[in-house]
This record gives sequence, structure tokens and C-alpha cells, in this order.
Amino acid sequence: MHIPDNYLSPATCGTLAVAMTPIWTVAVLKVKVQIKQHRETLPMLGIAASLAFLIMMFNLPIPGGTTAHAVGGTLLAVLIGPWAACLALTVTLVLQAVLFGDGGILAIGANALNMAVIMPFVGYACYRLGQKWHHEKLGLAVGAYVGINTAALVAGIELGLQPLLAHSASGAPLYCPYGLNVAVPAMLLAHLLVAGWVEVAFTLLVFQFVKKVAPTNLYQTPIRTNQRPWLYLLGGLVLLTPLGLLASNTAWGEWSTSELKTMLTQQHVSTQVPQGMVSGLHFKALFSDYAIAGLPVSVGYILSGVTAILIFLLLMRGLQHETQPTK
Amino acid sequence: MKPSQPNKLPTWLAQPTTPVPRAPRHQVNFLARNQRHVQALLARLAQPAPVPRATHWQLTPPMRLLQLGLMLLVISLVHSPVGLWLLALLIGGQLLLLSPSQLRRFIVSWALSSLLALSFIWPSYWLAGPSTLLLFWGKSSLLLANAQYYRVTTALTDFLTALKAWHCPDVIVMTFAIALTYLRMLGNYLLQTMAALDMRTVAPTKHPYRLIGSLFGQLYLKSYAYALELYAAMEARGFNGHYVTVPTTHVRWRDYLVVSPYVGVLLVLILRGV
Amino acid sequence: MELIKTAALSYDYPQTCGLDHLDLTIQTGEFVCLMGPNGSGKSTLLRILSGLAVASAGTYTFDGQVIDAAWLARPAQRQQLHQQIGMVFQNTDVQLFNSSVAEEVAFGPRQLGLSPAAIDQRVTDCLALTGATAFRDRVPYQLSGGEKKRVALASVLALNPTVLLLDEPLNGLTISAQTEMLALLQQLQAAEKTIIMASHNYQQVQTVGDRFIIFNEQHQIAADVTQAELAAQTTRQAELMKL
Ligand SMILES: Nc1ncnc2c1ncn2[C@@H]1O[C@H](COP(=O)(O)OP(=O)(O)OP(=O)(O)O)[C@@H](O)[C@H]1O
Ligand SMILES: [Mg+2]
Repeated sequence: MHIPDNYLSPATCGTLAVAMTPIWTVAVLKVKVQIKQHRETLPMLGIAASLAFLIMMFNLPIPGGTTAHAVGGTLLAVLIGPWAACLALTVTLVLQAVLFGDGGILAIGANALNMAVIMPFVGYACYRLGQKWHHEKLGLAVGAYVGINTAALVAGIELGLQPLLAHSASGAPLYCPYGLNVAVPAMLLAHLLVAGWVEVAFTLLVFQFVKKVAPTNLYQTPIRTNQRPWLYLLGGLVLLTPLGLLASNTAWGEWSTSELKTMLTQQHVSTQVPQGMVSGLHFKALFSDYAIAGLPVSVGYILSGVTAILIFLLLMRGLQHETQPTK
Repeated sequence: MKPSQPNKLPTWLAQPTTPVPRAPRHQVNFLARNQRHVQALLARLAQPAPVPRATHWQLTPPMRLLQLGLMLLVISLVHSPVGLWLLALLIGGQLLLLSPSQLRRFIVSWALSSLLALSFIWPSYWLAGPSTLLLFWGKSSLLLANAQYYRVTTALTDFLTALKAWHCPDVIVMTFAIALTYLRMLGNYLLQTMAALDMRTVAPTKHPYRLIGSLFGQLYLKSYAYALELYAAMEARGFNGHYVTVPTTHVRWRDYLVVSPYVGVLLVLILRGV
Repeated sequence: MELIKTAALSYDYPQTCGLDHLDLTIQTGEFVCLMGPNGSGKSTLLRILSGLAVASAGTYTFDGQVIDAAWLARPAQRQQLHQQIGMVFQNTDVQLFNSSVAEEVAFGPRQLGLSPAAIDQRVTDCLALTGATAFRDRVPYQLSGGEKKRVALASVLALNPTVLLLDEPLNGLTISAQTEMLALLQQLQAAEKTIIMASHNYQQVQTVGDRFIIFNEQHQIAADVTQAELAAQTTRQAELMKL
């Protein structure tokens, strides 16, 4: 499910990275609370990241002679808590992208959203519901299945939107060439039929083993304290950042269902001029076609990206003082 | 030497091993495949730090990372074949500076990853036509080449130095450092457990998933034990939440000079509204 | 009968040498002790004999069959070899992967298609032999180092292998437990099992081994002597005592 570079436009990558910053910030805050109760959570973050790395690397046999691999998002959320899992999985994804060539470097925001946020949180929510209704294992199984499929669905949408968001003057897609009608079914089919079940089997069996051998090593859900402020902060930030982007980008606002439809049909039915040739020959013409109409889309994205990163850094900086020794 | 006491072994153990007759049937040996993968990972982790090129323009780790990011961004934003061609020449020129063994490693993994990219994209031939396919593949290969070039020329620890220099919070730098260290330990542990499992596998496995479940369950418990030990060790050495083992590198004016063309190109691209 | 034979066997790790041109022959029913300083290649030799690693150069023949990468690549042959050869690892931690000791020991026999009663019999016997009956229902993961050693040996014995490769099996055991384990190994030898044991404690093994293969720091065989021969070489004995 790792989206490589070049499938998502830099604008989408920026947007998703921006959407991730508040989530990461809250995750760090939440994990700090967790560390106060269980001090070993601090090193556990790094160790869990390497565990996740190995899980994602391990080939699991599937009937028919081929192999698949699990992601382990739900499992990790149940083992070390969803917030810690979010951070650990993010670290894994960054390491994979930068040092081991698995998944895109620019696409880290997108991959983190799918595999480090949606998957563990959806999975964990199902698990908690199952626990409440005294069907813990069923909840976990459903969580693993729904979690990975939701993540796949979102990844499919991210990919499928690209031909609509970024295309050349003649409509040739600049990034992922598959539209929603191809990307979403392809992602979902693969995960609904195969990867989802692999994930369920893997998650359940590891959980069962840990539960049997060392039940105390499972993440204990903290007693509910006042969580409202965090929820508001998270919700607010998540909502606000993309909204800011939407405003600066007319393309997003202009959709209507009928337009979407025509765009989609245009994408996949019409035969096109070989776009590479055109842009190669009329280098200048292509540029002038684009540099019109007010604020260019990418500037908005990049400015907001930089702003978000700055906010993130400032927040982190502010937090750091708590743990640093007083000088 | 023969024992002095009478033999009290159970009869089944005193008999010679009787090999189980088995029908030859096709088996997928997932253990062997995973052992190979983990071995490759461990080899990668144990790789010696790349020999620094003795040039005056050697960038510091934080700048290398920035340069990589900017380069990827520029490639993503350029859509004209000519522009991409120029960028390809740029990376090709950089490749000339690699040592032969580094170059071989680069080419092998780049060719593999770029073929993999092709396998995902070829169906688009029927959807969007050959030019989109070619352009997309060319760009993907170029991006992969840049990322791969970074990997070949960068030691794992340089990445940590870069994070630290870009004022990444200590908690996160520490998490990365621990993850890289323990990846090796856990990988080793997994490899050895798979070897032990292999030693005692004498018939086709009927329930591979149960085994895998206990393999990774064990690995998690091991991780937990490592975390406890590591925390104890950290505290014993006076850990106070502030993690500084990674040296901070200061950015020099030369670095800015090397990176500035990328920024310039990027600005031009953005302002022209590509 | 000639069971194990190596010819000019070498093994290279990525950065260091593991073994350097080893020639040795081991007969069925022998009790061989591998001795030598740390890092001299004892564990490496055991890994090759067990089929977990393949020599970089030279040949390894087991029971008349040349064991190489191509031969080991076929799962059925690999499994057949592993039924004949059992191994206790130096780090027993990695060897126990089931959720209870009884399960751990039953793991091997279960694949042999035995009846549940026969499996249970084997588990009970093996645990009794190794003195591990008391922790039958415990979790292997939470056992102490010495306890893990016993369970690891029990789980290997349950498959009734012809050859036992033991990598420092006595480490972490008390003196009396060591004596018990050595007595058990001698009984196994009497039942025509071949035992190859790595050790660096000469005092423990000097009376039980038939034959001593001594490695030097250059990963070569420095001496290959019988118990009687070794007893006559006082200087070598003094060296071994220092290991
Ligand atoms: N996984 C490995 N990777 C690289 N080198 C290794 C590895 N395992 C062992 N070596 C090296 O190979 C040589 C032989 O090691 P081996 O483990 O066989 O020694 P040993 O005789 O069993 O030592 P000990 O008494 O400490 O158990 C040593 O120099 C060691 O450093
Ligand atoms: Mg050893």
C-alpha cells in the first residue's frame, strides 16, 4: 500500500503532509502522557518502529503459491496504544522511504495518513467496541479487516483524484494516470479479497500469542480523563488546514457531480494527442498556457506546507522545554 | 566413553530415527524466502559507511537531505521531456563520481525498482496512451535514481545527523536512532528463530500462520523486554529526556551555494505556475 | 560407519573468516567435543553441519550425500536432513517459540503424524529426561537461562535425531545439572546417537568426550585427538584449561 513518488502531485503531497502535522503533534503530546505512566514507552517507540519494519517486510504465504505482507497497523495499536503506534509507524514509513526505498519520499504524508493514522485508529476503535461487547477477538478481527480496507480505500481515492487535480492543457494526466474508476476498485479488490484476510489472520494470531503468554504486556486503555480539549484541538486543526488549502485552490471548489462525470469520461475514453511530444515541441507555448489566472495553485500549497511545518516545529520546540533539564 | 549406569532411555528414543515416508508435493518455502530477505536487510544495515568523495563540494548531511527533497520536488514539477532530460544528465554526472562498486549497487537496485514501477504503470497504456506512460515511467525512474543515489552515498547515521541539524525534536531523533539500532537486533533475533524453526521442521507445515503468529508474538515480547532493559540502561546513565549522541553539524555557506540553484529552479517553476 | 565428512571446508562471513580449510571425519556413535577460544569457529561449524549455512568452499558430506545449496533448496530433502540432525543453539532464547513448554516439545513429533497418545508420551519422556517436568505448563519465554537449555534439549530429543549438535549446552547450568546432562548424553551415545558438542570448559567434558577437535584462533583445526591421546599431552591440557 506504499504509494511511491510521482503518483501524487506535489500539491496533494503537501496537503496531506499539512493534514498530518496536527495529528503528529497530538500524538507526541498523547505519548508524553503515556510515557509518564509507563516510562519504557519512550524506547518502545523506536523498538516498535523496527518491529513494524520487520512485519511489513515479512512475506506471508497465501494459497496459490504467492505471498503477501501484513502492515500490522491494527496490531501495533492494540499492543502499544494507537497514538504510540501512529508515531512508531510514521518512523517506520520514513525509514523505509528515505533509507530503504519503499514508498515515496514526497508521499510520506499520504502514506502516513493511510497506514499510520487511518489503519491503527479504525482498527483500534473496532477492537474497543468489541471489548465493550465482550467479543474482543471478533472486534480485533473486524478492526484489522476494516482498518486495512479503509486505508486502501483512502489510498485509492488519493490516487484516483490525481487525473482530475493535475493534468496538462489537453487533459493528459501528469501524475497517477488511473482515475477513480480504476484506482479505487483496484486497491479495494486486492485488499478486500487477499490482503485484508492476511492482515486478519496475522493480527489475530500474534494477539492471541501475546495475550496467552504475557497479557500484561498489552496496552491498557487509560482510564478516561478529560480528553475533550485534545479532541477539539485535533478536530479543529484537521478541519482547518485542508479548508485553508481549499480556499486557495479553485480547482477543488469547482467540482460538481456532472463535471466530475464528464472529466472522468474524458479521461478514459477520449484518445489524445501524445502529450509528451506536444510539450516537447512547444516548450514555451505550454508554459504560457499555464501561467495565467491569479495565484498559481502550487504557491498556495507550498506556502501552507511551509507554514504548517513551521507551526509544527514551533509546537515541538515549546514542548521540548518540559523535558529538558533546567539550565 | 560408555556410561556406567544401566540405560534408562525410553524405547522410542533408543531406536534409530525412522524417516517419515512422504509424498513429494509442491511446498512453498516461505521460511527460506524470509530468511533471505532478513539477511539482505542485515547486510544493508551492516554496510560500511560510504567512502566520502574527496571533493571540496562535499555537502554536509543536513544539506544532502535538503538537496534530495528539492531535487525530487523539481522533478515532480517538470513535465517537459527536455527538462527531464537535463535533470537526468545532472544525476548521470553525479553518478560518475561513485566508486565502481557503489555504481554497481546503484544500478542493480535502480534497475529493479524502476522495472517494478513499470509493472504498476503499464496498464495505463490502454487508458492514457503511450506518451503518458513513457513520461510517467521516465519521471518515476528519475525520482528513483535520485533517491537511490542518496541511499548509496549516505551512511545511515548521516540521516540522523541531518534530522538533528534541522531541529527535529530530540524525542523523534532518538526514536529514529533506536529504531535503526534495534532493527538490527530484532532482525537478528528473527533470523535465528527462523533458523531454529527450520531445524525442527521435518514435514510440510500445515498451519504456517500459527507459527508466524508465535514468531511475531515472541518478537513483540522480545521488543518489550529490550525496551525495559534499554530504559533501565538509559536511566542508569543519567538519562533525563534529552538525547544527544548525534553530533550536530553546522551548515556552511558553501552548502547554501550548492543548494541555491535548486531553490532558484523551484521558484521559477512555481512562479510560472507549472 | 562414516557419517560426517568435510573436505577443505571454509566459511567466510562478510567481513571475517569463520572457518578455514577443515578436513574431518566423524563416525556414527562418536562423542566429539569441539573446543577452542572464543570466535574460533565452533558455532560456525555446527551451523554448517546442521544445514543452516552452506560452506563458501569445500564439501560437506552427510551419510554419503553431499549437502550443498542446491540440495538444501528442496524442502523435502532439507526436512529429511533436519529429522536426522537436531541442534541446541548457543543462544537458546531464539529456539523456543511456542506458548507453553509442552507445546514446544510436542512441536516436532506432531509433524511426524504420531497419535496424540504417542506425542504425549514423547513429551513426558523428554521432559523427564532433561529434568524439565516441573515447568511443563510454563511459558518458555519466561523461563530462566538454565531452564531454557533443558527445554531446548527436550524439544530436540523429541524428534529422535541420529545426530545431536549441541552448542555450549552446559552454560548456565549448575554443577549437578551439568553432571545430569552429561550422563544423559552418554546414554544417548550408548543408543548409537552421534553427539557433537561445542564447549570451552575442558574440566566438564574431559571424561565424557571420545574425541576432541581443538580449534585455533585462525579458525583452523589445531588438534584432533582421542581422549587417551589428549590425556598424554599435558601442555595441551594446560592450554585447554585456560579457555
Ligand atoms: N553473523 C556473523 N556475522 C559476521 N561474523 C560472524 C558472525 N557470526 C560469527 N562471526 C565471526 O566468525 C568467527 C567464528 O565465530 P563462531 O561464532 O563460530 O565462534 P565460536 O567458536 O562459536 O565462539 P564462542 O566460543 O564465542 O561461541 C568469529 O570471528 C566471529 O566474529
Ligand atoms: Mg559459539
